[in-house]
Amino acid sequence: MPSVKLSNGVVINFDGSAQTLLEALERKKLEVNFHCREGYCGACRCKLVSGEVNYINEPLAFVRKGEFLPCCSVPVTDIEIEIP
Amino acid sequence: MAYTTFNRQINDQMKEPMFFGNPVNVSRYDQQKYGIFEKLIEKQLSFFWRPEEVDVSKDRIDYQNLPDHEKHIFISNLKYQTLLDSVQGRSPNVAFLPIVSLPELETWIETWAFSETIHSRSYTHIVRNISAEPHKVFDDIMLNEKILERADDVTRYYDDLIDGINLYQRCGEGTHTINGETLSISLYELKRRLYLCVMSVNVLEAIRFYVSFACSFAFAERELMEGNAKIIRLIARDEALHLTGTQHMLNIMAAGEDDADMAKIAKECEEEAYAIFRKAAEQEKDWAQYLFKDGSMIGLNKDILCQYVEYITNSRMQAIGMKAIFSTTQNPIPWINTWLVSDNVQVAPQEAEISSYLVGQIDNEVDGGDFGDFDL
Ligand code: FES
Ligand SMILES: [Fe+2]
Ligand SMILES: [Fe+2]
Repeated sequence: MPSVKLSNGVVINFDGSAQTLLEALERKKLEVNFHCREGYCGACRCKLVSGEVNYINEPLAFVRKGEFLPCCSVPVTDIEIEIP
Repeated sequence: MAYTTFNRQINDQMKEPMFFGNPVNVSRYDQQKYGIFEKLIEKQLSFFWRPEEVDVSKDRIDYQNLPDHEKHIFISNLKYQTLLDSVQGRSPNVAFLPIVSLPELETWIETWAFSETIHSRSYTHIVRNISAEPHKVFDDIMLNEKILERADDVTRYYDDLIDGINLYQRCGEGTHTINGETLSISLYELKRRLYLCVMSVNVLEAIRFYVSFACSFAFAERELMEGNAKIIRLIARDEALHLTGTQHMLNIMAAGEDDADMAKIAKECEEEAYAIFRKAAEQEKDWAQYLFKDGSMIGLNKDILCQYVEYITNSRMQAIGMKAIFSTTQNPIPWINTWLVSDNVQVAPQEAEISSYLVGQIDNEVDGGDFGDFDL
């Protein structure tokens, strides 16, 4: 079960009850910006400090190096992220 | 470099830059330099909708019952959006098609502009329904100073680029005397105009609609003007995709692999890019002020809207590697996100019915009484 570590020290276990990283963050009442929730707008962009994520659907939004889209991805390893 | 609609030069399209290479000859997609543009085309086509499919008839009564200052907010936003989509429905075609060199990008530009024409038609659909005199609404757009002020900044970069392309394609690089006027153009200068134009369109797609969107959704949160809000949701979905398109273009340009000049230009124009973002944000904040000059609406006021403009401006700038220019870090109206979710994912309770009109059903309310005489 990969863990998700936030820059403020909070750690979430990605136990499969949430379908995406965005959902997992929201369940912990963390506010992440979003619009489409489908990978094409880029509004949910977060920093991926370490670790690896997998995209459920290939995102159309432009993703810069070191960033990822939580709305359409799941962690494959333990990850460390930063919500803007 | 005169434009030709079917370039006879046999070229390897995979080696062309996005712009200012050979004009496209065969529209082929079996090989693509940038597959993302075809994916955007497919997505845009999957979004296809027609304004007539959205039932706005209930909005008429809502509108009549709005206090005057809220009527002003509603109708002014529609006018401003009409201006924006008038420009966007034609300008990408006129400005970019004569200089584009990749078929997938050419077709994306056409698909993008086409979807903007749907937006334009939807405003007429809305206005016709709420007003017995739609011409008064549209006639005012060309007279309204607040709108014309914005029109200038929205169109300037397009016009500069188009003007430069005309000269270049007619006369080539150099200094030319035309009708007694001395004009010069270089390819590098044209590329600079292109970069600034794409940046300005990016800002348009990124920021300029959102004050208006927020007001539409704030009405709908009170269960007012819901037909309008449905249309605005569909427009917002398209605009998010257009923004992704311009962000990809800017990114490819700045990376320099496609055309080394463009990377250099992106650096040289950095300050101007900041200025374009800043000016657009300031104009949108002024617009919020104008909207609320006679009073706020429930759930929104000028300050909240200004903060929202700052918030999305920051986030749009960071998306293309720029630094945030405002200190706002929180979205003051997080409820708006629910309205911006793609309708394939249903989150808002209001959204239960939204996919029905996409398959062509008309979502009229029908009373039991309507079937009174109907025997099986
Ligand atoms: S919410 Fe649109 S890309 Fe994640
Ligand atoms: Fe539009
Ligand atoms: Fe657009």
